[in-house]
Amino acid sequence: MKPNNMIAMILAGGRGSRLYDLTNKLAKPAVSYGGKYRIIDFPLSNCANSNINIVGVLTQYESIFLNSYVTMDSRWGLDAADSGIYVLPPREKAGEDLNVYRGTADAITQNIDFVDSMNPDYVLILSGDHIYKMNYEKMLREHIASYADASIAVIDVPKHEAGRFGIMNADVTGRILEFEEKPKHPKSTLASMGIYIFNWKLLRKMLLADSKLKDSSHDFGKDLIPQMLRDNRILHAFKFKGYWKDVGTIDSLWEANMDLLDPQTELNLNDEGWKIYTEDTNVLPQYLGPDADIKRAYITQGCEINGRVTGSVLFTGAIVKKGAQVIDSVLMPGVVVEEDATVTRALVADGVRIGEGCIVGKAGSEHITLVASDQVLSAAAREKETEKEKDTTKERTVKK
Amino acid sequence: MTTAFGIITATDRVSRVEGLEDYRPVGAFSFIGRYRVIDFMLSNMSNSGIDQIKIFTGSNPLPITEHVGSGRQYNINSKRGHLHVLFSKHAYAYNLYNTGITCYKDNIDVIENMPQEYVVLAPSYMVYTADYAELLQTHVDSGADITMLYQPVDTAREEFLTNFTVTLDKDRRVTNFELNNGAAKARNIFMDTYILKKSLFLVLIERALKTSSLYSFANIVADNVENLNIRGVSHRGYLASINDFQDYYEANMRLIDFDTADDLFRKGWPIYTKTNDSPPTRYLDTAIVKNSIVSNGCIIEGSIENSIIGRNCRIERGARIKNCIILGDTRIGRNTQIENHVVDKHVQICNIKKIVGDADFPGYVRRGDRI
Repeated sequence: MKPNNMIAMILAGGRGSRLYDLTNKLAKPAVSYGGKYRIIDFPLSNCANSNINIVGVLTQYESIFLNSYVTMDSRWGLDAADSGIYVLPPREKAGEDLNVYRGTADAITQNIDFVDSMNPDYVLILSGDHIYKMNYEKMLREHIASYADASIAVIDVPKHEAGRFGIMNADVTGRILEFEEKPKHPKSTLASMGIYIFNWKLLRKMLLADSKLKDSSHDFGKDLIPQMLRDNRILHAFKFKGYWKDVGTIDSLWEANMDLLDPQTELNLNDEGWKIYTEDTNVLPQYLGPDADIKRAYITQGCEINGRVTGSVLFTGAIVKKGAQVIDSVLMPGVVVEEDATVTRALVADGVRIGEGCIVGKAGSEHITLVASDQVLSAAAREKETEKEKDTTKERTVKK
Repeated sequence: MTTAFGIITATDRVSRVEGLEDYRPVGAFSFIGRYRVIDFMLSNMSNSGIDQIKIFTGSNPLPITEHVGSGRQYNINSKRGHLHVLFSKHAYAYNLYNTGITCYKDNIDVIENMPQEYVVLAPSYMVYTADYAELLQTHVDSGADITMLYQPVDTAREEFLTNFTVTLDKDRRVTNFELNNGAAKARNIFMDTYILKKSLFLVLIERALKTSSLYSFANIVADNVENLNIRGVSHRGYLASINDFQDYYEANMRLIDFDTADDLFRKGWPIYTKTNDSPPTRYLDTAIVKNSIVSNGCIIEGSIENSIIGRNCRIERGARIKNCIILGDTRIGRNTQIENHVVDKHVQICNIKKIVGDADFPGYVRRGDRI
C-alpha cells in the first residue's frame, strides 16, 4: 500500500495507577475495554484505517504482555511488506547506561535513530490509552494545507471541565496563539487530546535541544509545545468531533463501557468503514440458556449466560449461571458469576469467580466497586486511597 | 515419526441441500452463526499436527477459497505448512462424471509430490471433532491397509440415509462396506474419514478409473474389502453429516443445548475460523432472548427463542423469532414473526409480518431476498 510518509509513535508506557489492580501486572493501554477490545486497539486500528503503515509503540511500565500483544501486527492488518508495528522499550546504548523514558518527548528522543531509519516527513505522536476513532490522514491533510510546523488535535470540552485539560487558544484560522496547562480561568474550551503531528526535521532538532535542558521535564505538553510557541512557530489546532475518552479511573473505565449500551452512542463500533481490530479469539458464539434474561447489554462471543443481565458489558468468555444477576456492571474476560450470585455497579477484573450466592457491589453507590483477582475492594475504601494518591497516569515522568 | 498430509473433500457426496447449496458448497455453509462447516475438519487437522492440507472443492471453489484464504487462521505454520484449494480442471457438463476420483486424477501430480507417507481423507460436509494423530498411530500399530472412522448410531432408519455403513468382525476388521439402506436401526455410520498410505491411495485411484467412470473412492474401497486389511475405529461424541436441508437445520439446532455443545467443542481443541472483526452484540431494553446462540455484531431489539443468529444481524423491535437459523447480515423488521425457517444471508424482511413454517419441515428464505 502506498504510504503517506508519516509514521506513528504511540506512547504506551503509562501505568494508570488509579486503575488499581487492573494495572498491577498490565500497562494501561493493554487494559480490556468494550467486550472484546484492549484500549490500544483504538489508536492501532485508527493508524491502520488512516493508511499509516509504520507504527512504533513506546512501552515501559509492565510491558511484557503489551509488547507481545502489539507485535502481532497482522491483527491490525499492519503486516504488509512495507508495514509493521515496532516495539520500542527503553534500551541500553553504547557509552550510556540504561535510561528509562523521562517524559513523553524523551521517549521519542531516545528513538531518533528508529525514526530516522524510516525516513518520514511527518511524525504522528499518539497516546496508547485513549478510546476514540480518528482519521489521522485527514489531520495530516489539514496540517499540510495550513503550512504548520506542528498540529495538535483538540476537542471541545464543557466549560466547567476545561480546567482539567491543556487548553488551546486559537484564532479563527485555527492557528494556536496560546497554550495553558490546566488553567484556573480557561479562555477557551479547546482541549488538547495529546495527539500531535510534527515535521520530523524540525522535531528532531527541537528534541535534541530539549534533551540538553536541565530543568525540562522532556514532555510534549509542558516543554516542547510552549517552546514552539515562544519560537513563533505555526501551530495548528485540528478540531476533532466525536467520542473521545481517556479512562483514568475505575469509574471512568466503567462509564466508558456503559457508553456502549446507548444505541445513539457517538462511538459506533458497527461502522464497516472504520472497524476496530483486535486479537482473534477462538471461542464459541454467545450461548444464551433457557433461563437467560438479557436487557440493555453489550455481550461478546464466548459468553455463556443463563441468568439475568441488565445494563452491563460482558467480555470474552464471561459466564453468568442460573439465578445469578448482573446489574449495571462490567465483567472482564473469563469472569464467572456462579448460581444465585448478584453483581451490582461493579467492575469485575479478568478471571475472577464470584461464588455461589455472593453479593458484590451496591446499587446507588457513589463509586463503582472493583472486584480484583484476590480481593474485593469496596468503593468506600478506594475513595480513601484516592485522596491519598495523586494522579500519575497522564504524561507520566519517571525519576531515576 | 510417521507423518500424514490431509485431504478434505466432498466430491463423492451424492445428496444435495435444497436452497443453500445453490450458492455455495456445504463446506462453506455457515454453522451455528460463527463458523463454516469446513472449519471443523480444518481445525481437526491443524490440532492433530497436520499442516499440509489439500481441499478438493469440486466445481465451485470460490466460497471455500474466500473463507479459508491462506489458512493462517487455522494455526498452520505459514512457512512449513500449506493449505491448498484444488478443483477439477475439467468439470464435466454432465455432473455424474464429476466424481472425487476425476478430481484426484486431475490433480494427481500434486498428490504424488507430497513427501508424507500417509494421507488422511476427511469430509467437508460433516461436523465432528477427532484426533487424527491418535488415529494415525492406531493405524500404524494395527498394520491395517486402511483405517476408517465410524460412529455407531441407533437412528440409521431415519438418519444418515445417503451415508455408507461398515460392518466389523470381532477383530474390528471391516467385512462389509455399503450404503445405509435404512433397514436397521443400529448401524455403524462411516464418517467418510480414511487413513492409508499415499502409495495405496494412488493405486486405488488408478484402479477406480479402470473399473468405472462413475466410481467414487468409497466404491473402489468397497470392492476391495476382501483383498485389503481394512479396520474400523469407533468415534464417540457429536456427529453431523449434512446430506440434506433437514440435516443442516437439525445439526445446528442440536447445538443450542449446552451439553451437546460440550460434546463437540472440547477443551484444548480450538475450532478456528476467519475473524470478521465484528463488535460485540448490543441488546436493547426490549430484547427477549432465550435458549439461543447469537453471533457478534448484532443489534437485538426483538425476541429470539430457540434460534441461531449469524453475524451483523438486526432484529428490530417487536420481531419474534422462534426455531430459526438466521444467517449473517440479515434484517428482520419491526413486528415480523418468523418460525421454523432458515433465512439465508443479506435478507431483509420488513413488509411481510408473518412467515411460519412447519416444525417438522422448516422453510427457507433465499440469499439476498427482500420481502
